[in-house]
Amino acid sequence: MANDSTSGSANSEQRELLNISVPATASAIADVSDKVAGILLSIGIPEEKQLEIGLAMQEALANAVVHGCKNDPSKNVHCRLNCDGQGRIMIIVSDPGPGMDLRSLQAPTLGQNLYQDHGRGIYLIRQLMDDVRLERGGSEIQMWKY
Amino acid sequence: MGEAVDGLRKTLEDLIGSGEHCLVINLAEVPMIDSSGIGILVRFLVSTKARGGSIKLLNPSQFAIRTLKLVGVLNLFEVFDNEENAVESFS
Repeated sequence: MANDSTSGSANSEQRELLNISVPATASAIADVSDKVAGILLSIGIPEEKQLEIGLAMQEALANAVVHGCKNDPSKNVHCRLNCDGQGRIMIIVSDPGPGMDLRSLQAPTLGQNLYQDHGRGIYLIRQLMDDVRLERGGSEIQMWKY
Repeated sequence: MGEAVDGLRKTLEDLIGSGEHCLVINLAEVPMIDSSGIGILVRFLVSTKARGGSIKLLNPSQFAIRTLKLVGVLNLFEVFDNEENAVESFS
């Protein structure tokens, strides 16, 4: 892994807990997920909230690898994890891809979509997190857990 | 995604390929299921049902149940906390 920074370069409001770029591979996602789980545990985030944040982050990273990087390990996914003084968590995941439009996504809970084997990632993120935004033309997802 | 989902996909493909269509999946050691795992479960639920079988879920964690519910697929599956009951449900 490259560009790994985990040790709290604080500003006035947000404390940076992780700032990392990893190759677009499934194993790199697993490494980042493990690292994030350890950080959330170490700062005392309640277990249920850890699971919600961990799963949302895993979904965002998987989207970045599969859709943003087309599973090309020569490309990198960037991930940041911040926490503010009130324990609110912000995660940013970005990729070098063309981005996506939330409005183009179909609700996976409607009709025959229930029986699809894909298309649930972003929906799940929006259910698990308190605020979700797409930036940089949809190639960067920002999500908050309050 | 990753090895866990690839392994589940391969196992289910092999079982269904060998004619097994009534399957119980023990999730006791699975703390969370991501969307790719859910996609696999739904895909093979559809294919087993098309062959007269089904997939039953055994001992999913509370968070796994909540995740399945969030994406609307929990009601597609029968869920058990007892393996014997899960197996007997096919008879």
